[in-house]
Amino acid sequence: MSASTAVAGQRQSVLELYRDDGPLARALGTTLGARIGLPAVMLVAAAAVPLLTVMALGGDDVPRLAVGAAVAWLVVVGALSQGRALSGRFAWTVPPLLRLVEYGGLAWFAVLAGAAAVPGAFALLAAVAFRHYDIVYRLRYQGVAPPPWVGRVGAGWEGRLVIGFALLAAGALPEGFFIAGGLLAIVFVAESVAGWTRLARAQRPELYSDEEEVEE
Amino acid sequence: MTGGWDTSPAAVDAPLRSGQRDRPRPSVNGGARHSAAATTAVLLATAGDDDGGAAAALPWGDGTLLRRLLEQLAGLGVRRAHVISRPAWEQALGSSIDGLGLSVRLHSSASASRDLSIVAQLGRASPGGVVLAHADIVTHREALAGLLSDPRVVTGILATGGAIGQPFVLPTRSMRGRIVSAASPYHAVGAPSAGFLGVLKIAPADTPALADVAERLASLVEGPVPAGWEEELARKRQTWRAWFAAVKADKEIGAELQAPRSWSARVAELREDAIALSPEEEAQVARRTAVAPADVVSLLLVGLVRAGTHVGNSYLRRLFWARPLSGEGVRRAAEQITEHDEDRVLLESAVKANDGFFTTYCVSPYSKYLARWAARRGWTPNAVTVLSMAIGLLAAAAFAVGDRAGLVAGAVLLQIAFVADCVDGQLARYTRTFSKLGAWLDSIFDRAKEYVVFAGLALGASRGLGGDVWLLAAGALTLQTVRHALVFSFATAHREAIGKVPQPPLEQPRDAAGSALRPSASGSVAVTEGRAPAGPAPARAAGRWSLRELPARALDAWRVIDRWPGAGWVKRMIALPIGERFAVISVTAALWSPRTTFTVLLAWGAGALCYSLAGLVLRSLSR
Repeated sequence: MSASTAVAGQRQSVLELYRDDGPLARALGTTLGARIGLPAVMLVAAAAVPLLTVMALGGDDVPRLAVGAAVAWLVVVGALSQGRALSGRFAWTVPPLLRLVEYGGLAWFAVLAGAAAVPGAFALLAAVAFRHYDIVYRLRYQGVAPPPWVGRVGAGWEGRLVIGFALLAAGALPEGFFIAGGLLAIVFVAESVAGWTRLARAQRPELYSDEEEVEE
Repeated sequence: MTGGWDTSPAAVDAPLRSGQRDRPRPSVNGGARHSAAATTAVLLATAGDDDGGAAAALPWGDGTLLRRLLEQLAGLGVRRAHVISRPAWEQALGSSIDGLGLSVRLHSSASASRDLSIVAQLGRASPGGVVLAHADIVTHREALAGLLSDPRVVTGILATGGAIGQPFVLPTRSMRGRIVSAASPYHAVGAPSAGFLGVLKIAPADTPALADVAERLASLVEGPVPAGWEEELARKRQTWRAWFAAVKADKEIGAELQAPRSWSARVAELREDAIALSPEEEAQVARRTAVAPADVVSLLLVGLVRAGTHVGNSYLRRLFWARPLSGEGVRRAAEQITEHDEDRVLLESAVKANDGFFTTYCVSPYSKYLARWAARRGWTPNAVTVLSMAIGLLAAAAFAVGDRAGLVAGAVLLQIAFVADCVDGQLARYTRTFSKLGAWLDSIFDRAKEYVVFAGLALGASRGLGGDVWLLAAGALTLQTVRHALVFSFATAHREAIGKVPQPPLEQPRDAAGSALRPSASGSVAVTEGRAPAGPAPARAAGRWSLRELPARALDAWRVIDRWPGAGWVKRMIALPIGERFAVISVTAALWSPRTTFTVLLAWGAGALCYSLAGLVLRSLSR
């Protein structure tokens, strides 16, 4: 048994891997989140409402304070649901909801920074999308998820929203998005290639057996 | 590329019929070749023919059925085989196992219980995995290759979704590719979805489970069988007889032979005493009833499924399969198998069964010939996948030019990339060169192509036609990623729910149908997790029903629409699958502008999102 399969043993559902939580969500989820009894679906839905509302109604001249408040609410309330078992009837709505708020939020930050910043957001979203598809496809075809350190370096959905907002507030768009997107793309793609190389080496000499034979 | 090709001698054996196709069979990252070489075949030659001999010793060409099967397995790289047979047949079978490309050991056993004990021992002694089969089946080499060489089917069976081998093929029910119920002569399946063709592959990780199950079954079939088992076998015999009567009635009214799902209901309507079969039909039923108690292959399948082992399916598709059990049956099988052009059916079978409309009607009809062409040139699926990605990048570059010529060129290149994308999968299925890396590359490059093309279109628009559409491009990317996340997450949740449903004990002839894995009124199956058995489905049709049943009823009504001609295609098209998406991009970009492309993608995609979300919510509510 490798370390990763031991972790997988504790996990209730693969959906928890699909969430792509970062260090901030983990910290909040294990401390504050453990004390709140609400189901994860409810928390994530409640977390998403203010941001989506402000995005839909606010247009592109929303005060930065309101944007910051909506992001803070989303990150804190959404993070509280981290570590909670995703086992309810509608648990499958959590990962797509998190994608929607993350991608939508980052694209919106670019709009608020001015139309010239949107290509930067596209680049960042493309890098993040690679990560999210890679989680699903590597679980499907390798039987193992990318190692946990990638999730930490990638900062998770909540970390990227916080950094994205910070870049907006600092007036560092679109350059900040291009740099963040580039760095993330390098980490995500390089780690994936390394993962496949490792698998190839591990399987080279002998027989093929599914899953659980590769470290991490 | 991280793997490299395996060009060892074992990798280039046994070309198909044409003989000219000495293509190397690449094995990326430990594919079929390694697996087959380590696999131990265990063949059960325990069924008798009409003259008291072993059915596996029935003549085929210069040899026997057993010899043919062993040759096929050897050709697929299997190096070790064990044949379990009865003491009286040892001599007759002995000549079938000499001079083959694999080492064969013959085991003599007097009873099914002893057969199972031998399987248990072999399971414990075979760390490389086991392929378990009836020694007397006649099928195409490629059918076996499909099961043995597909790394996605780890532990799995050769299955049929059609009417081949009816009525004696024992049924199974699968959900999300996993067998949730299987039949043996003593075990029944409610709402079957496919049939078990007597070949079972067990992954190295599952051989301990196989050995455990074999030991348990050995003690169950020693002496009198558990309560209800004989009754179930008697019911099977009735069903077989009724099937012949139903076929006769169908022939009289000119109806086509139906798949198991629909005829089982009709068979139930026929009364036993009203059935008159011809002597030949009676003989067939008697023959099957006689060999049924020794059918340890299907008993082991039931045992594995009931023990919670993940068992998958490798489908026969349009290849041939038979289990003749008589000289006459062998003669007929020999005739029928030559009617199948193995290469042709293999090519037909290489086309994915559940693609969208555009892919099925506008690409697959000719892309399969491209796949064959590529196979004859020795191209690998991964090479085609990479080529497709490269053409996709060219398409994006052409879109990025921004003028009309660039848009038209990009549209054409994108379609070429899409055709290549279909070819790689068909090539992999046709040449049986599946690999984990190949599957991952195919999936990830599909996404990459689409999003790179978005960027190309947006870049082109900002320089020429359509103005700044970067936000639309980001929106289209977001929408598509959310739609995929929705599908992936639901599938994962569903699969996990299926895995948690408790299986009934091995002694129980009935399966879990009617309770946890319950078929709905229309025959579709939904999962209920950890609930008490629901009432029989007909209760729902009795007029009064509560609001709680509304989602299930809405789903049933929605599925009724599938029976209208073309409705299934329209439903698939609404969901905007990849073929339709790429067609939309090409057509709108070539004729109008990137702005039109993104507008259509967003509008259609939003509709598709609502449509699939509604369906998934209804399915969740009806659990």
